[in-house]
Amino acid sequence: MNPSGIELHAGLTSPFPRSERLVAATRDLDRGRTTADQTERAYVEAEGELLALEERLFTDVTAGYLRWNDLFRPIAESWGGFTVGPLTRWLETNTFFRQPVLSSAPQRTPGAIAARLPPPLKGRAAGARVLLPGPYTLTKILDNRSGASDAEVLRNLGRLFAEEVQELRGLGFGLFQFSDPMLVTSPPEGPEGFGVEEAYRSIREANPSATTIVWTFGAEAAATLPWLNQLPVSVVGIDLTDTAPETLRPGPPGLGLGLGVIDPRTTLPETLRDTVEVVREALRRRPSASVWLGPGAPLDLLPARPAEQKLLRLADVRQTLIREGFGR
Amino acid sequence: MNPLFPSQEIGSLQKPSLEALHAWEERLHFMSRIPPIPEEVLRHPDVATFQNLRAAFAITFLESAGLDRVYDGEARRVEMYEYAARQMTGLQFQGHVRSWDSKYYRKGTALDRIDLVAPYHLEEFDFVQTHAHAAVKLPVTGPYTLADWSYNEYYLARQSGWKGRPQRRAAQREFVLDLARRVLRPTLEALIEHGCRVIQIDEPAAGTHPDEAPLVVEGFNEATRGLDAEFSMHICYSRYQDLLPALLEAKACRQWAWEFANRDADGHDGYEVLKLLREYSDTRSIGLGVVDVHRDALESPELVAERVLRAAKYLGDPSRIWVNPDCGLRTRSLAVAYAKLQAMVAGAALARGEIENSRK
Repeated sequence: MNPSGIELHAGLTSPFPRSERLVAATRDLDRGRTTADQTERAYVEAEGELLALEERLFTDVTAGYLRWNDLFRPIAESWGGFTVGPLTRWLETNTFFRQPVLSSAPQRTPGAIAARLPPPLKGRAAGARVLLPGPYTLTKILDNRSGASDAEVLRNLGRLFAEEVQELRGLGFGLFQFSDPMLVTSPPEGPEGFGVEEAYRSIREANPSATTIVWTFGAEAAATLPWLNQLPVSVVGIDLTDTAPETLRPGPPGLGLGLGVIDPRTTLPETLRDTVEVVREALRRRPSASVWLGPGAPLDLLPARPAEQKLLRLADVRQTLIREGFGR
Repeated sequence: MNPLFPSQEIGSLQKPSLEALHAWEERLHFMSRIPPIPEEVLRHPDVATFQNLRAAFAITFLESAGLDRVYDGEARRVEMYEYAARQMTGLQFQGHVRSWDSKYYRKGTALDRIDLVAPYHLEEFDFVQTHAHAAVKLPVTGPYTLADWSYNEYYLARQSGWKGRPQRRAAQREFVLDLARRVLRPTLEALIEHGCRVIQIDEPAAGTHPDEAPLVVEGFNEATRGLDAEFSMHICYSRYQDLLPALLEAKACRQWAWEFANRDADGHDGYEVLKLLREYSDTRSIGLGVVDVHRDALESPELVAERVLRAAKYLGDPSRIWVNPDCGLRTRSLAVAYAKLQAMVAGAALARGEIENSRK
């Protein structure tokens, strides 16, 4: 494969941290010290600033998903069968989410996710990345009181996500990232594995022209990667801060490769040279014509300022690789 | 001697405004515990006076709710992490990180080797010791949590090359042990010298990386080894089964103070994990979380009693149970916190009555 022909993308893979100003505004709103209007202005300002930065640095944009309290909340709040449950730790982090509780068969609420997308994305859907929880991770973290097995819930969620993507496609969105870290932190076994394949197949079959990314992080992915390679998605993303690049093996030629190269567990900006070398090493071991660089784990584990510094470094990495003949 | 199912606080309370303090004074008369303050100063108190007022209020608040062991609601601490982090050299703050929803904390960055400026919590302990009528238990943030809630850049930078998982793991251990030896231990020694007898080491981060439970224990043991005090370990919002049996190696720990009520709802048994302690023949006491600190809905005394009795059955020994909220009540209004504490104490009394009746 000619390295210069690689399509090299870069972008955010998670909600972005709230700016210090937005932190103050949301806190003040909680404590009754400010109004909803003033907080809304802080959101609009923070989203606008981030969007401008992404447009300058990256190949797609998110506007930060700053309004989302956690990755699962839009679904837990709005889809039928779900309610919002207790605070629960998000993987191995000091952040928490409200556990979705599923009491009956899940039902999608048309328009609910679209209404919760960052407002600035509505005018520029074509270049936007839609973030959604992966069906497997959502199944694993929810409190399933529906009476159905997890594998059944997984298949149902796959069908609902397929409809959701169809609806969002109708609004002009074309790039969908499913954050599915538990595929590597607690890899599925037996019927759940088939359920994952079926869920992603539903999404693909209903939306053959959409670009779908399954993004993993939180654990070493090399052992799971041969199976991930079989998923009917456009791109499989792995976190190189958890997976040593030397452990990668060639994958299907048409499958895109996502590489998490920014680590939100440290404020130290990644060393440009080390990061470029890690990407090159990964691509030597596992060539792909479509490469998607991004933060590995969610960047909102950082305060906004160091996170911004890391975005700049991510863009530097992409530019350096292109200058050195790796990608375009 | 404590009654069966004695009660204790577990962490911070919401910090009342001056207006709220005046309102609570009418109900609790907490100002009688401290030397009279001139009316003019009461209207515009300086920082020290305000902190003393808040601490006196919290002590009275907890005692009047009926608790057997109290502290000051952490009235003088910004919060459990930042206050401790500010007592060290080598750590700097870069901004806020979200815990959940619109709750954030300022996360420090270790830019140099960590060292202690001076032992801390001494002044607040002296104040509580002087003004409390009930027994005193002091909460101190543990070394593992301080490390996990910080960025450990100094220690990570000492690892060479790409910073993968093995490098991060080695850096984390260095950081935890420095915190245990250079920060926590001298602070605990000073507190004990001041007369502090019961100390709760707060390790809410212990469940974050279950495979690091041995490091939680190593930090705890380094900080407490050979010290003459009654230590407990508070952990919350974790899968305790994932931390066992590693945690059991915490030598000086005499009590596990854990959260349970949060997960005890709608047919789910939040206390079932206690059976594991019995299986491991662990005979330490339990600080049993019986009220959920993240919801306003009040637990009834009957529900608290049922939880206590269920836990007693799982442990096989009611005398090992203390009751407490799951965690600090600072996210609840003071009115709700007070009502929850009263329900907790009333529930413990109901459970005590049940046990006593069953023994007759």
